[in-house]
Amino acid sequence: MAEEGVSADSEVLERDRCPTGIEGLDNILNGGIPRGNTILFTGSCGTGKTTLSLEYLVHGALAGENCLFVSVTEASEKLMKNVIPYDFFDESLIKKGKLVFVDMPIIYERLGMTEMELSMEDVEALVRALGNLVDELSIKRLVIDSVTSVCYRLKTEEKIRNFILKVGKALSDRGCTSLLISEISPSAERYSLYGVEEAIADGIVLMGNLERRGDLLRTLQVVKMRGTNHSRAKYVLDLTPAGILLVPLLKGGSTGGN
Amino acid sequence: MPKSPSKLADELSELPPSAIALSIRDETYFDAIRGVVDRFATKKDLNTIYISAAIPSQSIIDVLKILEIDMGRIYFVDSVSHTMMSASKKVDNVLLVESSTMLENIMLKVDYLMKKGGDKGNVILLDSINALAIHNSPKILSEFVHILINNLRAKNAYILIFSIEGFSSDEINNMMSFVCDLTLDMNEEDD
Repeated sequence: MAEEGVSADSEVLERDRCPTGIEGLDNILNGGIPRGNTILFTGSCGTGKTTLSLEYLVHGALAGENCLFVSVTEASEKLMKNVIPYDFFDESLIKKGKLVFVDMPIIYERLGMTEMELSMEDVEALVRALGNLVDELSIKRLVIDSVTSVCYRLKTEEKIRNFILKVGKALSDRGCTSLLISEISPSAERYSLYGVEEAIADGIVLMGNLERRGDLLRTLQVVKMRGTNHSRAKYVLDLTPAGILLVPLLKGGSTGGN
Repeated sequence: MPKSPSKLADELSELPPSAIALSIRDETYFDAIRGVVDRFATKKDLNTIYISAAIPSQSIIDVLKILEIDMGRIYFVDSVSHTMMSASKKVDNVLLVESSTMLENIMLKVDYLMKKGGDKGNVILLDSINALAIHNSPKILSEFVHILINNLRAKNAYILIFSIEGFSSDEINNMMSFVCDLTLDMNEEDD
């Protein structure tokens, strides 16, 4: 048993990391996301999921990695206008092709997916198209915002499971470290809308709005992350031009569930 | 005679980056501010991050202007103005926190200002522990001060915490003695 423990620890230590560039998050994750993992970033609206995922890509692009943002819910042009003007953001990253934005509706259109409900064949084609994009552009970091909107067109649990499994494998096989953004309602008792995504992802990061005595705090908690030891505590975050900053949530002697 | 601003600055200058509780009275309040944000910060070439929890930052800024203190390297984290609904005007060197109960956000704003300041050293002035104690329980306040001080220590910053004589409970005084490296008394007579 002791040997098993040692080997498990060694495996944890040996995994190559993909630093998010967000200092607080990298500290929580002991250096970053294990490379090749597919992580579900989940939370209700206004919790900072999109901002965090964009910062992850910007840091990757600045470090010389090719990064891809697949926007499902809104046009990437509009998205860029609403993003915090980071002090460290360099527009030439987009011109040089280090940071690429693709709108999912354009992929649907090119693949001839006009029906609202996608078939199992469509799922295969979609995963293949994403894999090809990753190959062509030598992508090392990818974000799909949001996977919930893709799942909305899949309808059945079987197709959702199939999509998440296949897309996760396709990206991981290509050494791509991916964030799947998932939307849940504030009162949800699970980590994803369909309950399938959370079971398949390599990691789950829960983002939320915590109300405490009338104050609303943005929070982040790493619930699960395969391949690394990590803190499971809740942190408070701030979205600033210097990037996302994190500090521990103060408990103040509270034993409450929130 | 209470301690002069220059004497306070001299005493602080002899210390390595530390957490210092500074005991003050009403009559030594502005001398203490002047000693820290003007004399000491200038002498050590430090940026000042002023956490105003007692009175709005604008009132402090007005006083500093009257005292002809250079405001170029003084930044405020203001947790009072929002609560008073008097934060309509955006001021460049002031970051607002919605309320004095949002202690995590105070830490985050300090962190942000330190990042923005780059390699420059920092002195963080918390004005005051008593004002924060009005809005927060001793337990959460102790946790806040403990984390704040340790975080700033790791970044080699000076932190000064104003404690107003006669307005602190034993619990707060004990906590301050525990988390701070030393206590200076602004009201103590000069030699």
